[in-house]
Amino acid sequence: MSSRANSIALGSRLARPLRQRWQRWLRRRLPSAPEVILTQRRLFIFPSAAGLVFLLMLLVMLVAAINYQNNMAYALTFLLGCVFVVAVHHTFANLHRLRLRAVGLDSVFPGQQASFAIRMTAPGKRRYQGLRLGWESADTLVDIGPGASITVSLYHSVTRRGWYRPGKFLLESRYPLGLLRCWTWLDLDFRALVYPQPVDPPVMSRDGGGQSDGLLPVPGSGDDIADFRDYRPGDALRAVNWQAWAKGQPLTTKVYGEPESDDLWLDFSSFSSGTTEQRLSWLCALVLAADASGDVWGLRLPGYEIAPARGEGHRDAALQALALYGMDSDS
Amino acid sequence: MKASAQLPRDALFWLIGSQLLMLLPLLLYLPPWILAVALAASLWRFQVYQGRWSYPARWARALLAIAAAAAVLVSFRSLLGLEPMVALLLVASSLKLLEAKSSRDGYVLAILGFFICLNIFLFDQSIPSAIYVLLCVALLLSALIALNQNPNAQAGKRPLGVSVGLVAQALPLMVLPFLFFPRIAPLWSVPIKRHGAETGMSDTLRPGDVARLGQNDAVAFRAQFAGDIPPLSALYWRGLTLGSFDDGTWRQHRARSMPNYGRLEAPPATVGEPLAYRIIQAPTQQRWLYGLRYAEPQNPGAIAISDFRFVAPAAVEFEMGYRVISWPGTPLEVDLPEWRRRLETEYPARRDARTRALVASWLSDNPDPVAVVERALRWFREQPFYYTLEPPPIVDRDFVDAFLFESRRGFCEHYAYSFTAMMRQAGIPARIVAGYQGGEINPVNGTVVVRQLDAHAWSEVWLEGQGWVRVDPTGAVSPERIELGISEALRDDASFLANSPMSALRYRDIGVINWLRMRYDAMAWQWQSLVVGFGGDTQIEVLKRLLGEITPSRMVLFTLGGALLILGPGTWWLFRPQPGERPPPAERDFQRLCRRLERRGIKRLRGEAPRTFVERVKTGLPEREARQIESEFALIEAKLYEPART
Repeated sequence: MSSRANSIALGSRLARPLRQRWQRWLRRRLPSAPEVILTQRRLFIFPSAAGLVFLLMLLVMLVAAINYQNNMAYALTFLLGCVFVVAVHHTFANLHRLRLRAVGLDSVFPGQQASFAIRMTAPGKRRYQGLRLGWESADTLVDIGPGASITVSLYHSVTRRGWYRPGKFLLESRYPLGLLRCWTWLDLDFRALVYPQPVDPPVMSRDGGGQSDGLLPVPGSGDDIADFRDYRPGDALRAVNWQAWAKGQPLTTKVYGEPESDDLWLDFSSFSSGTTEQRLSWLCALVLAADASGDVWGLRLPGYEIAPARGEGHRDAALQALALYGMDSDS
Repeated sequence: MKASAQLPRDALFWLIGSQLLMLLPLLLYLPPWILAVALAASLWRFQVYQGRWSYPARWARALLAIAAAAAVLVSFRSLLGLEPMVALLLVASSLKLLEAKSSRDGYVLAILGFFICLNIFLFDQSIPSAIYVLLCVALLLSALIALNQNPNAQAGKRPLGVSVGLVAQALPLMVLPFLFFPRIAPLWSVPIKRHGAETGMSDTLRPGDVARLGQNDAVAFRAQFAGDIPPLSALYWRGLTLGSFDDGTWRQHRARSMPNYGRLEAPPATVGEPLAYRIIQAPTQQRWLYGLRYAEPQNPGAIAISDFRFVAPAAVEFEMGYRVISWPGTPLEVDLPEWRRRLETEYPARRDARTRALVASWLSDNPDPVAVVERALRWFREQPFYYTLEPPPIVDRDFVDAFLFESRRGFCEHYAYSFTAMMRQAGIPARIVAGYQGGEINPVNGTVVVRQLDAHAWSEVWLEGQGWVRVDPTGAVSPERIELGISEALRDDASFLANSPMSALRYRDIGVINWLRMRYDAMAWQWQSLVVGFGGDTQIEVLKRLLGEITPSRMVLFTLGGALLILGPGTWWLFRPQPGERPPPAERDFQRLCRRLERRGIKRLRGEAPRTFVERVKTGLPEREARQIESEFALIEAKLYEPART
C-alpha cells in the first residue's frame, strides 16, 4: 500500500475541519506557481513500505547479533543501517532542485483526454532517475539526463466546458534503493480549455435569407468572382488568383460573389428553443461544420461578436468564445 | 510501488547472482544438495525469463516447499539448531526466487538476502569472510537499484557502481555505532551449532584421532605473551585430561564421579614467575579452553576444574578471546586425594598381558615410581620406535601390546596411550593430557600461532612430593617433534598436509610466500583481537581513550559530531551548487524589483513582458517614484543586454 493511500485512509478518519486544515497547510506549504524549483520546503521523504520491512529486518538482525554475541553481525547490521541513512540523502537528491514548468495549453472537447505538458529540467551534472508522475498514483516513469530537459504530459479526461484545472499532481522518486520515498505535490496552475460538446442542431433557420435547404449554406453562389483581395495564409489554394501571380502581380485571392449581408452568421439568438448549454453545443457543431467547409462565417453571442472570416485561428477563437461564454474569464 | 509492477530483468539477474554468491561459503557447513536446489531454481527461473519454461503451478510450489523442509529434516534429523535453520532459509530463498514475478518479490528476496549474509558471519568472522559479505551486500544493493531504475533508460549508471558508492559512504559511518553500541548480554538462548563437523580435538582418544588433525593447517588459537615468549618446547597447551579408560577408549572423568562435580575447590599456592598472555581461540563447539600449566583464567565466567584446566561457561561457538596468567613452576596436587588416586590408576587387568609382564619385570627391578617412569622412557628411546603420522592400522583388541611389541610406528597419541597404560599397570596415577604443543612464532607481531596440526597428547604422572608431572613419551622417540615442532619433525613425510595442497604452510620455504603468510597472520590477529573480539573491557578501554571519560553527553556529542564529519563531505557533494542553476544577475535584480512592487500591491501579470509591466506600473505611480523605477529598470536592461559594460 502506498503511503498516499495511507494518508487518505488517515484523512477519512480525521474530522473534517482537521482535514481542511491539512489541505490548507499543504497549499500554503506548496503554493501553486507556473514554474517551480524543488527545494527542501517542497519535498517530503519517508521510508517506503519496503523500507519499513527493511528496518524491521535490521531490528531482527540486531537481536540476532546480540543473541549470538557476534561482532561481525553487529557490523553488518550497522552497515546496512548506515546504507539506509546514506540512501536518505541520495533519494532526496534525486528530486532536489529539479525545475518544473507548465508548457503549452491544450484545448479539447468533453470526453477527450486533455494533456498537460510539464517541462522538467535537471540542473548540473547529475542524472535524475526513476522519477514517477501522476495525478493520484505516480505511474509515468521518466529519467532526465544531466543538464537535460524533457517534456512529460499527464492526461486527464474532461467533461464540462470552460477552463479545466486538474490541480495538483504527484511527483515521486524511490531511486536508488526503493527503501525511501521522496515526493511532492505540485500545482503548476495547469489549465486546459474545454469546448462545448458539439451537438447537431435540430433545424437550421437561416438568418435573413433562407435560400439554403441544407444545414449549412453552400459558400459563394455560383462562379462569379466578386472581388480580389490580398492573399492571406490559410486561403484555399483553388481560390488563389494564379493567373495574376503568373503575370508577376502580387498574390491575390478570389472572393466569390456573395454580398456582405449574405455572410454566414452563426447566431446564438437564432435558435427558437434550447437552453444556453444546448445552444452552445449546437453552435459548436455549426462552427466545426462551417470551418470544414472552408467558408467565411461569423459568430454572434449575446454581447459578443466575431467578425466573419475563416481559418484555424478564427475557428479556435470562436470555439474559445463558446467555451467561455457566461464564465468568469479567469476562473 | 504497485504490487503488479514486474520484476525488471536486471534485478532478476542481480538477485540470482547474489543468491548463488551467498550460498557458496555456507556450503562448507551444509549438505551439498542445497546448492543443487539453488542451481535448479535459478536455472528454472532463467528459463521462465527466456520464455522457454513456465512458472511452477501453485500445487507444485507447495509440493516443493514440503519436499525441501522434509529434506532438511532428513539431512539434519532435526529442525532446531543453526545449520538446519540456515538450510531452511536458503531453500526458502531459492523457492521464492523461482516464483518471483513482481518487484515486491524482488524486495522480499533482497531483504531476505541481507539476513542470509548475517548467517555467513555466524560460521566465520575472518577477514576474507568480511570482504566476501561486503561483496554480497553490494550485489543485493545492486538488485535493489535495478528494481528502481527505469528499465527503458539505457544511459543510467550501472547498479554495481552506485551500490559500491553507497557502501563506501556507509562504511566509515558504520564505525560510530560499532564503537558505541553497548554489547549487551543475549536476550534469550539461541540455537547452537551441533550438526556441523566439529573442528579441533575431540574429547575422546582412540588411536587415529590426532592424525586427522595432522592434516589440517587451520588455526586453533593464537596467543600473545605480555613478556618474552617461552621456548616452543615448553609450550604445552593443556586442553583436557583423559583419565577414564573404557573399552580401549580414553575419556574424561564424568563430573558425577568426582566431588563438587569436578570443580577446583582451592587454587594451589603459586610458585615462581607468572606468565601473562592473551588467547584468541577459533570456535570449537566445545567448552574447554587452553592454557599452560598452572593457568588461572582472568575472564569472568571461566570455570576452573580440579585437574587444573578451565572451561568456558558455554560451548565456544565464535572466536573467543581470554586472558590467562600461568605459573609454570607451581606443583599441582601434592596431596593426592584417595578418590583421585583410585580413579587415575584404574586399568582393566585382563588387557595387554605382555605389557603387564614387562612392567612387572621393571617393578621387580626397582619399585620406585620415578625409576619406572625413566625405565619406560628409556625403553621407548632404545627400542626401534618410529614417529609417523601414517602408522599401520591396529585392529587388535589389545592395542598397547600390538603397538609396543609389533608395529612400533605411531605418533603422539600412540605413545601417550601406551605410556599411560603402562604407568597405570605399575600402579602409578597417570592420565593423558590432550592439547597442543608448540606453535609458530609470527615475527611480525610476536604472537604464537597454534594450528590444528600442532595437536598433541602427552601424559601426566603423579609422583610423591612433586604432584602431577608432565611426561612426554613422544619426546623420547622424536625429540624434533618437541624441539622444532611438527612441521620440522615431518619435513620429509609425504603424509604431512597431504590433503591441503594449497596450504601456505607447504610453501613456507619460499621467502615471499612466508613473508606474506606472516603478514596476513599478524593482520588476522589484529582483526580477531580488535574487531571480532571487540566488546566488554576492550570497548570501555577504547571509548575511554576516545572520550577521556565515558558520559552520556560526551557519547552523544561524539556520535553526532562524527556523523556530521563523515556524512558532511558526501552530502555537500550531492547537494553542491550546480553551474547554470542561478539565474543571471539581471534577472535576479528584476525579480527583486518585482517582489518590492508586489509588497506594494502591484502584481506582474502572467506572461507580461518586463517592459510592459514597468510602463504599466509607472502610470499608476506619482511622478517621482515612476522616474526612480524607470532609472532602476534602465540599469537592469543595461545589465541584461550589455553585460560587459556593467
